[in-house]
Amino acid sequence: MTCRELIDVLQDYLDRELAGDVVAELERHLEDCAPCRAYLATYRKAREVGAAAGRVEMPEEMKTRLRRFLLDKLRGS
Amino acid sequence: MSGDDRILLARAAAGDGEALETLMSRYASRIYRLAYGITRSAADAEEVVQDVFLQVVHKGTGFEGRAALSSWIYRITTNVSLNKRRGKRRELETSLDELLPRYRADGHREGDRAYLLTDWSGTPERELLAGESRRILEAALDRLPDHYRAVLVLKDVEELSNEEVAAIVGDTVAAVKTRLHRARMALREQLTRQLGARS
Repeated sequence: MTCRELIDVLQDYLDRELAGDVVAELERHLEDCAPCRAYLATYRKAREVGAAAGRVEMPEEMKTRLRRFLLDKLRGS
Repeated sequence: MSGDDRILLARAAAGDGEALETLMSRYASRIYRLAYGITRSAADAEEVVQDVFLQVVHKGTGFEGRAALSSWIYRITTNVSLNKRRGKRRELETSLDELLPRYRADGHREGDRAYLLTDWSGTPERELLAGESRRILEAALDRLPDHYRAVLVLKDVEELSNEEVAAIVGDTVAAVKTRLHRARMALREQLTRQLGARS
């Protein structure tokens, strides 16, 4: 397996969607390839922090404005 | 859609504040997260939430789909958010190809070895989500194309399956997986260039 082939299936590897023989080949490549180990580690971390950054909360004052806006619209229409 | 949702929508459409409150507590946060994730603007996200709620309440009672109400709401939110973004801030979006790995003819990675070995993954998440690192992370997300951010939020933030995401964005599962992978690689590359240079 080359680096390109490994990176092509990295997402499937992390999602445990690869066949056992492909996983074995991929993990053999990882043992011998420090750049791919770094790529895997940073890919996984980028996914985690990207998700964490996306967990934004709707501000309370915005909820209050939304409630008022919707009630005005629904009761006025 | 469940009978409970149908009754709530009918009551909300008639101006029932309590029903509206229940719908808001169930769906407002999810709509806002997705809208913000795509538009990257609190003001735009607020307008999207208002628009989506009005559509849901007005059209919801007539919605006969077998899908869950949440999937339908995600679909409307995605469409309204992408429409709002149309024509905006395109200059920020980077060509993704420039952020994907480059390879030599033999299939191994091309580039400076020290850079290829850059590994910032040991940085604690709380550090990455604060200060200058947070700014770098937000800028990296800003630079992804809108429809890439849409699948990232649906998959990684809302934790939907690939099949659910595909149904919401109206694409195949294979196309969604490809877009997700490219978005994550582009995010990784931007973070590595910025955070690696700092470490």
